[in-house]
Amino acid sequence: MSCQTIKGQFDERLDGRLSDPQQAAFDEHVATCADCRREWEAYAGAWEVMERHTGIEPSFGFVERTLRRLDEPPTAVRTRFWQPAFRWAALATAVIALAVGAWIGRERVLEQRRVEIYASVRQAEYLEDFDVIANLDQLKEGNKL
Amino acid sequence: MTSSESDVALMARVRDGDTDAFRELIERHQRAVINTIQRAIGDAWEAEDLAQRVFLQVYRSAKRYQPTAKFTTWLFTITRNTILNEHRRRARHAAVSLDALQSPREAADGSGWQAPDTTTPNPAQEVAERELQEKIMETVQQLPEAQRTAVILCRYEGLSYEEIAQVLGCSVSATKSLLHRARLTLKEKLRGYY
Repeated sequence: MSCQTIKGQFDERLDGRLSDPQQAAFDEHVATCADCRREWEAYAGAWEVMERHTGIEPSFGFVERTLRRLDEPPTAVRTRFWQPAFRWAALATAVIALAVGAWIGRERVLEQRRVEIYASVRQAEYLEDFDVIANLDQLKEGNKL
Repeated sequence: MTSSESDVALMARVRDGDTDAFRELIERHQRAVINTIQRAIGDAWEAEDLAQRVFLQVYRSAKRYQPTAKFTTWLFTITRNTILNEHRRRARHAAVSLDALQSPREAADGSGWQAPDTTTPNPAQEVAERELQEKIMETVQQLPEAQRTAVILCRYEGLSYEEIAQVLGCSVSATKSLLHRARLTLKEKLRGYY
């Protein structure tokens, strides 16, 4: 088993999450590899030291004092005076921004269509002119002009 | 009421307004909640007040409690939220509690600063032990909040990765990563004590 694998198993080993065969392989490697053993002993040692923080005992009467508070009203969540207004303002701004964006988008689409229609009309007029020019000689022959 | 009732059974009775069942729950879990808070905020005096709020929240939320997870997971979730609220309150007021400067043992005694007991057989050892306790607290306090919570719940309350993940609202792999990074910091900061 490689040193990298062993070092990647430090947490599982510490928390008892390795299977028996894995733990045996881990312990065997650490026993024979000085570098991994040094790393492991530091890693586990610091964690072990943490256990020496004993904590505190609840003071006398804690339970009774807690039970006496059952009739207290729940602590109101303090909100700043501007918070509801800020939320409404942000919501209104978002709605207005969406409406303006939608209107601008619609205007652009309509403008594009107007340009396309205009181009089509102009093209038709050009074609009509070409038809007249193309048929001009025939029209002259027929004394239509 | 029997002391062998499970937490879930007790909560079912609390949901019906049974204060005796609630008393039993407090007695079972008061030490764990108080110490989790005390290790997280570094203030023994405030820890008891906040712990009371945790249990009051448990009582008021009893009707919403669903036994889909372990009771302790739910309890520590409420505890963590209470701690986070306290951190936000302190950040807003940015006041330093004088009580936070006391060691945990002094604060729990309810007395002021106590001189080292020179009558014990090894006063130097007691001083060294006190220094270690303070060093551990200082190191835990310096961890980022999520790492600190993971360490406290894993080291002192014996929660599994899965339970810690539920309390923190993250994945099991994220929990493992938090613990790993915290342990690397502990290894460096506590060098010389192991």
